[in-house]
Amino acid sequence: MQTEVKFSSKRFLLALLLCACSVILLQNNDLSPNASFTFNAICIAAGLAVCFLFFLPSLILKKQTDSDVLTLARRFTPKLRIPIAIFYALYFVYAALYFLLPYIDMFHTKYFPEVTPCLITFIMLLGCAYAACKGVNVISRFGIFLFLFALLTNILMFGGSLSELDFSHYSFELNGEFNAFMQNTLYFVTPSFIAVIFACCSGVTRNFRFRQPVFTLIFTGLKYAAVIFFVWFALGDYVGRQTYPAFVLSRVAHFGPFAGIESFYLALSTMSVFMIVSLFLCCISRGTCSDGNRKCVLIFTLIIFALYVTATYINSVKEILVNPIPLLLLTFVAAVMLPAAYIFVGRKSNAKGN
Amino acid sequence: MRRGISILLTVAAAVMLSGCNNSRQIETASIIKNVSVDRRGGQVVYTFYRLSSSEKPWGIDVPADSFEQACALAREQYIPNLSLAKLELLMLSEDVYRQVMQDDVDYISTQASFSPIAYVTLCDDGAIERIKETNRTQSLIEEQLILLKKNNPSVNINYLSIFNNFARRGEDSFTVPFISSEKELKVSEFEIDREKMKKTAK
Repeated sequence: MQTEVKFSSKRFLLALLLCACSVILLQNNDLSPNASFTFNAICIAAGLAVCFLFFLPSLILKKQTDSDVLTLARRFTPKLRIPIAIFYALYFVYAALYFLLPYIDMFHTKYFPEVTPCLITFIMLLGCAYAACKGVNVISRFGIFLFLFALLTNILMFGGSLSELDFSHYSFELNGEFNAFMQNTLYFVTPSFIAVIFACCSGVTRNFRFRQPVFTLIFTGLKYAAVIFFVWFALGDYVGRQTYPAFVLSRVAHFGPFAGIESFYLALSTMSVFMIVSLFLCCISRGTCSDGNRKCVLIFTLIIFALYVTATYINSVKEILVNPIPLLLLTFVAAVMLPAAYIFVGRKSNAKGN
Repeated sequence: MRRGISILLTVAAAVMLSGCNNSRQIETASIIKNVSVDRRGGQVVYTFYRLSSSEKPWGIDVPADSFEQACALAREQYIPNLSLAKLELLMLSEDVYRQVMQDDVDYISTQASFSPIAYVTLCDDGAIERIKETNRTQSLIEEQLILLKKNNPSVNINYLSIFNNFARRGEDSFTVPFISSEKELKVSEFEIDREKMKKTAK
């Protein structure tokens, strides 16, 4: 059953931080190979600045009304409630597939080539549907455990790669072109999907402070910079020959004769994608289901699975689903335009009330 | 009732996800621990040493022109269940390294299953013979390699750093380990000239 008890906003943003950090774990040659570390660091700063702009309308909405878009849609525009809920539901279905497709591909190619990807997806989605039925509060509690696990994995991954760092051949110089800047910045705007989760679920949190999302984005940037740093200086040209650089980093990590922490990396990426998809289903549930009704969660889980199967067999569908530009455009509508519209509607109705 | 169903489902999931249904004994799994490359009668021979519990190593000789070809031949003709995910050491004889090293490291870099930090070393024929005698030789070599790296961080002891040195532009040479076996196994540094290697490979 959906838990509507208000919980700490810090815990919710910790869960969003983990979701944002998982983007870099699933990175598969999305970044320009000619861009140096310093160049990528600038792209990270630019990308996350755009993410902050995506966050702004829902932050103002939360500060002013202590509520979220879906609740306000019910309160102020009951006639538009269903179209808005459907738009958000479709957005989250699309975004869930955007993360599921690379994750299942990585899981299948790197770990279990003999297992059918559809089976892995089905089991994963069942777990996510169960978590979504429990609500945002329970998922954010799981985030505390995941945060500690992510900390341990990152310490092992970075600490174990220290001996492979090569500063004599790979330097901090600024190498990159305008096209590479656009491509990489576009990639680093991907975590803006957390702004949409915030816009849909922030109504169930309390003790919100404006600095919380700022810290979330700063920590996300630091995590990205750390991964890019180790990929650039520890893996060098080798990374161009392999898929999923963060995975290769976990294979390279070693402490003396003890080598390879791929299992930690696998567990972290699995739990991160599990958390993302669960939160997406929670948001769908908040928009489309009446209290205590789990049918919608199951229906949308089946829709995600059906689309996944379609994308597996029809390549053009897969190309659309993994394309970052439609996702960013939809994120812009979901995180900026709709919350901004409700800031305006809220002010207007307050003025009428007065 | 609900508790009973949950317990049944948990037990079923534990059995299904444990991976034991497709298990194999280590002796029959054909996990390769190290590979040596030398020349015999004018032909390059790749010897695949399997992980085994016995004291004496169990190796299979595969004559081939490259590591890629040797892996394909080994799978087809000698070891159908060949697994190279646990490969820890590639030993190249000083007679053959100019001919095969660059191409072999390049092939390995494209394979997802190989570990990028597996050791690569050059050696004399005596060291190749020593590795055939006992399983302890491999651990001895690995210990010596770690020690060498500790004393001289610029030496390149694994696929990752050797691949990066081949890929890099500007520098003419780099150093790798060399194992000699005059009295006992001894690891020293060996300078590789990239230009000479390119000419020999052509």
